[in-house]
Amino acid sequence: MPYDSGQNPPVSADRASPPAISMRGLTKRYGPLTALNELNLDVQRGETLGFLGLNGAGKTTAIRLLLDLLRPTRGQAFIFGYNCWTEGLDARARIGYLPGELGLYLDLTGLETLDFLTGLNGQPPDKRRRQELCDRLELSRHDLRRRLREYSTGMKRKLGIIQAFQANPPLLILDEPTEGLDPLMQESFYALLADVKRGGTTVFMSSHVLSEVERVCDRIALLRKGEMVLLSSVQEIRRLAPRRVRVVFSKDVSAHPELPPGYELTEKTPRLWRLTVAGPLGFLPGLLEGLPVEDMEVEEARLEDVVLKYYREEAS
Amino acid sequence: MTGAFLLFRLSLKRARLLLCATGFVLAAVQALRVLLAASLHKAGQFDEISALLPPFVRDLVGPSLTSIMTFNGIVCGVYFDTGFVIALLAVAIAVATLPASEIETGFADLILARPMPRHWLITRTIALVLFSILFMLLAIMMGTWAGLAIFAPPDVPWPSARQTATLALSLGMLVASWSGVALAFGAAYRRGVASAVTSLLAFAALLMDWAHRLWPPLEWIAWLSPFSYFQPYELVAGDPLHPENLLVLWAIATTGYILAYLILSQRDISR
Repeated sequence: MPYDSGQNPPVSADRASPPAISMRGLTKRYGPLTALNELNLDVQRGETLGFLGLNGAGKTTAIRLLLDLLRPTRGQAFIFGYNCWTEGLDARARIGYLPGELGLYLDLTGLETLDFLTGLNGQPPDKRRRQELCDRLELSRHDLRRRLREYSTGMKRKLGIIQAFQANPPLLILDEPTEGLDPLMQESFYALLADVKRGGTTVFMSSHVLSEVERVCDRIALLRKGEMVLLSSVQEIRRLAPRRVRVVFSKDVSAHPELPPGYELTEKTPRLWRLTVAGPLGFLPGLLEGLPVEDMEVEEARLEDVVLKYYREEAS
Repeated sequence: MTGAFLLFRLSLKRARLLLCATGFVLAAVQALRVLLAASLHKAGQFDEISALLPPFVRDLVGPSLTSIMTFNGIVCGVYFDTGFVIALLAVAIAVATLPASEIETGFADLILARPMPRHWLITRTIALVLFSILFMLLAIMMGTWAGLAIFAPPDVPWPSARQTATLALSLGMLVASWSGVALAFGAAYRRGVASAVTSLLAFAALLMDWAHRLWPPLEWIAWLSPFSYFQPYELVAGDPLHPENLLVLWAIATTGYILAYLILSQRDISR
């Protein structure tokens, strides 16, 4: 459902278990340019939220504000109730972060990089967990001993995923996580994500890949020019999205149907109709009554249809 | 604290090649310098070389020239030789602009996304800069010692430990002051910009100091140059060390370090 930026999500009354992420009026301006405007968003514990938007919509800005890499012009953000700026260390101790563009020292080996980054969390490396992640993402011991300058883009991405997941943080912030991964590795990544989700981990991920978001996310938030224009569960979007219906006739049909509200005939030939139906399909049998229907196909509503509509509006 | 130590260790590990190579070259060149001084001493050519020096060099060095044109003066000259000073400054600037490099490459994102306070990037850099300066000065001292042990004629006294220490301390403070400038610029700008601006400022300040030595009326502006608080010729001539000079150099360094802390704490971490 469209999001009204004026509405304020209810602040969790339970201070003992605040949302995993809470943003209140978060605004970031660079001179006259508003990168993020009055963002209000709660991500509940255990939830997987997809953060969508075209390039420059403000997704990465919001993520960097949460990590205290950027300072807000206005507003506040909290991670598990800890203020991201005044209690930043407590907040960041609970985060595993995968940046969109990994900045790595190419003269280090993969193992040195992982050891160093684990050490910064103040914990000894959980070698079993790391090994499990390496196995799942097919990064061998030999690969880990190689210098990063010898790594391909995909291998660097795998290393990025391992460094974000290896400390088992309760919150994962992932910026374009599957960028650069081949389809097989993407599958492994989705399986990994499903596992951590089952374990109660909250995931906040930005992505361009709508099929990925549809597959792994519980809710989506859509940003447009720094403002949130859509916040909804994936199920709800699917429910509201128009479905495509394809009807094939055994004989030529010349009738001009009278369509009820929400129905639209997008293609009409003597043997084929294509319709989009927003809402229930209850009128369809009546519409086709007496016609020589040979076959009929109803496509599942797709997130893409809704999101692309917003993207096109922005582009125009 | 563990995180800060890991950060320092990683930075030191990555800088080790630069430090070792520079230290080795400085030590080797200094050993050769001792060999040169020994040859001149054996041939008794110091007076001849002094006579060959152009007048502006005599004006630049002043009355200390007679002390410099000795075995002791040539050996101790390493602490104010322009080439050595530039080498030390280059290493200090390279190390001091490390935070700028980490922000540019995005490595700072990975560090600061963890429970690491921002100020550790600066504290680590200061520790690394001071370590680097100390390491290079020790390398020069080792080169001096090795050169003296191998090449020094038996009839000349070695430079005193006190004189060596005061010269090394002065040079170390001078380099530290420029590291403060580089660190402050590096906390605000990209590494290339910070390095270039600091190098240009250092070059301008060096020229200003030389100009002042040749033409004393420039005093009104020369006091701005950190090099005017670095007086090695006088130290070689046996003048006592002026602690106020060291204080000024340390104050410049400290001001730069504090500015770097403030700038980094306020700025956005973005490429």
